[in-house]
Amino acid sequence: MAADEARAGMGAAGAGAAPHGHPAPAIAFLLFGMLFALLLSKAGATTYDYYAALFLFRDLQLMWVIGAGALTGALLIALLRAAGARVWWGGGRVEPAGKPMRRGLLPGALLLGLGWGLAGACPGTVLVMAGEGKTSALWTIAGVGLGTWLYGLLARGRAVEPEATVDNQANAPASAAPPPSPGV
Amino acid sequence: MGDAAAGALQAAGDVWPGWLGGVAIGVFTTLFLWATGRVLGLSSAYGEACGALGVGYFRRTDQGFGQRWRLWFAAGLPLGGAVAALLGAEGWSVQTSMGTLYESMLPAQDAARAAVLALGGACIGVGARMAGGCQSGHSIAGLALLNPPSLVASIGFFVGGIVMVQGLFALSGATL
Repeated sequence: MAADEARAGMGAAGAGAAPHGHPAPAIAFLLFGMLFALLLSKAGATTYDYYAALFLFRDLQLMWVIGAGALTGALLIALLRAAGARVWWGGGRVEPAGKPMRRGLLPGALLLGLGWGLAGACPGTVLVMAGEGKTSALWTIAGVGLGTWLYGLLARGRAVEPEATVDNQANAPASAAPPPSPGV
Repeated sequence: MGDAAAGALQAAGDVWPGWLGGVAIGVFTTLFLWATGRVLGLSSAYGEACGALGVGYFRRTDQGFGQRWRLWFAAGLPLGGAVAALLGAEGWSVQTSMGTLYESMLPAQDAARAAVLALGGACIGVGARMAGGCQSGHSIAGLALLNPPSLVASIGFFVGGIVMVQGLFALSGATL
């Protein structure tokens, strides 16, 4: 990951540093996933009781994790944008699109929150928990898959609002016109 | 009193202070975006998996699906979890316990507990698709992008979690 960081730094240094121009390879995502898992584990996000303790207001560990994470990310991403940084794999400017407002957002968020409290895990952390050897996570993973599947079957053929899980408006080569952003 | 909770949480071992874990995750989110141009997010990987298994909705590119990288990223999580456990003080082991609080709040019988966890998971799965993302996409990345809908979603996640755990705690008669 140190190599990624150094190369990303070079790529985004701007003038003269030629970015790759092609998308990140699968192995990069696999390694990023492993690193993310390590950080989630160290942050306590793979320990069931931190969730219960948070919602009972007994231990705000995970509140700090989310708060400090969002704040750090906000500052660093603002810096990247201000500096006109370019994506290392892909070459476009760092210009992430936020998820759009949609009608189901709040009820969906509440439903997800109820499941979060019941299972003591998120869609991401539960995968890490399974890797750590926590057997309960397997039931939750099966449930998330089932719920997702169910939604997909019900949404089929319906005119649903775009999820726009689109990532970077400038994931295309820098020379190309920015693709239409479904998020806006 | 917080002694029981503190005891339960000490069992987690070598966990970093919350602020440090948060800063590390914030740096990670930024590097991930910078390197790959992708915004962090996990729940749609379940959609990609369903798409690969033939659910047509999850192949719709107009819905933001059809992104194979999500499966690779998600596949890294259990691997990283195994590494985290191996590197930890206690090493990797099969753990059936969910910790003091959840053990006292959820049914003890295996089948009942499995059903409860699967139900919780199903709520997570449906809810994440309705909301267009989960905690990683809305709370970590979305808040870092200062995206208003993600703030609404994050508040919704917390309200749901508080209602459920306060309710479970009261109904189960568990004590702290």
